[in-house]
Amino acid sequence: MITKEEVAKIARLSNIELSQSEIIHAQKHLEAVLQYAARVQDIAKDVDVAILKNSNIERDDEIIPCDPQTILAQAPEREGDFFVVPVIIENN
Amino acid sequence: MNIHPFITIRELEEKLAKKEITREEILEFYLRRFEAFDGEIKSALEVFDKESILQKSNSKSGTLFGIPGIIKDNICQQDRVTSCASKILENFVSTYDATAIARLKDAGALMIGRANCDEFAMGSSTETSAYQKTHNPWDLSRVPGGSSGGSIAAVAAGLVPWSLGSETGGSVNQPAALCGIVGLKPTYGLVSRYGLVAYGSSLDQIGIATRTVWDSARVLSVIAGKDDKDASMKQVEPKDYTKNLTGTLPKNLRIGVVTNALHAEGIDPEIVSAIEGAIAVFEKNGASIKHISLPSLDYAAATYFILSRAEAASNLARFDGVRYGLRNKKATTLGKMYAESRHDGFGEEVRMRILVGNYVLSAGHAGQFYNNAKKVQRLIRHEFMQAFADVDVLVMPVHPAPAFKFGAFADNKLQLDLQDYFTCAMNLAGITAMALPCGLSKENLPIGFQIVGPDLSEELLFQVGHAYQQETDWHKKTPKGY
Repeated sequence: MITKEEVAKIARLSNIELSQSEIIHAQKHLEAVLQYAARVQDIAKDVDVAILKNSNIERDDEIIPCDPQTILAQAPEREGDFFVVPVIIENN
Repeated sequence: MNIHPFITIRELEEKLAKKEITREEILEFYLRRFEAFDGEIKSALEVFDKESILQKSNSKSGTLFGIPGIIKDNICQQDRVTSCASKILENFVSTYDATAIARLKDAGALMIGRANCDEFAMGSSTETSAYQKTHNPWDLSRVPGGSSGGSIAAVAAGLVPWSLGSETGGSVNQPAALCGIVGLKPTYGLVSRYGLVAYGSSLDQIGIATRTVWDSARVLSVIAGKDDKDASMKQVEPKDYTKNLTGTLPKNLRIGVVTNALHAEGIDPEIVSAIEGAIAVFEKNGASIKHISLPSLDYAAATYFILSRAEAASNLARFDGVRYGLRNKKATTLGKMYAESRHDGFGEEVRMRILVGNYVLSAGHAGQFYNNAKKVQRLIRHEFMQAFADVDVLVMPVHPAPAFKFGAFADNKLQLDLQDYFTCAMNLAGITAMALPCGLSKENLPIGFQIVGPDLSEELLFQVGHAYQQETDWHKKTPKGY
């Protein structure tokens, strides 16, 4: 049983603001999905299959020219070549 | 104009080769079809202007020269909006082409627009798009499936002969089956994910929708093959998948029918009957049929819920309103800006999946959910590999019932998520699968089935599917009125 407090905590971890009614709605949804998903426990304990190894590829670290203006042009707020954001810590 | 609405890529190529038609005329034809019919289907979020479409692609030659297609809106096209059908990227303009797009442009293919989809590819009905719902051309009161519903509906209604979608849990093959066309989910790592907006990075693959299997092989030949920009790929060279398509079934083909899937609880009897009809066609043409059971399939959806949501929670953390996309400008601190921008910019389904994802990864829950799901994922792949030791391909359902009405699962989200039941296992195992039409329900709605093969067996799937389409004409059936 997932509590409202747990939902609120996960919302904070997810960096998503939720209203009280949205938390209640999310609680019901999470409950249903997680109850179904929990069945993986039933067979997981008997699984005896080795983990697959991944392999990586490499390439030369070449500098390719890239115009920053095409990216900066999409900034919600900018000052010169900087992205502007609200203050990090509020003064009380 | 000597183009019939449901012409295939192969037929268009023949006309171009004989100089019966130009690429400008082909493009004009399809642009007019969007104008005529997309007002009610709503497959496209945007159809581009003729000049820029022509200007952006190879104007001289190429394997797909002059053939227009539409691209799911989670695949980056340079200088075009890529919104992932979300408000959070409403005005985001891609600064580069996805590798698949670059290869298509180089091959002369024409990118006609961007196709609607479920927001961030999260859904099975294209109902979660922040902009519009796409309608199934076979019955406008029904969904086309999802999440690549726009891409699929456009091909199903003959608005384009091919499109790109993406699969994470079935988002190309499920809608392809619901709309009566061919869908392909390539082996994980066969097609570059560079430029595909990530949902579940260990599951995502760009997929292809076409009218025929031959056409699918044609498109895959252009986009598949290793790419320096995607380190998760199989290191295979591009190749021509149409070369060995004879139209006859490979000799001594061994087909495994997944009986626990075909007789799963709740599957529509018309679907079972249509798939049994397809199996009979294979038998008649010399294939041997073996009945196989894959018990771990019953845990695939649960495993998929956990792993896809966990990866999505991480992948979507980048959307924070700082450098691009929607920003809540009323927020007074950085932290509030993140939280409120993400609340305002993401729709409810996306927010829910992020919450589920972070929950199953969080301290105290990761063991029960995420770690166990990884183990079950290995079991699922292992069962497929064991099956492929005895058979060459598997046959099973794609969808439990024909296309459903809008809002059918509004009060039962879990049932909507379970529309992925037959397709998510292939994404978890990383193997390849192709959906093909094999019947029509008594309400004249498409029924499809899927052929599933081991890693990098696309060529075999194409041979089997192409042979099936020489013996049957389900792929020639079309919705009325288009």
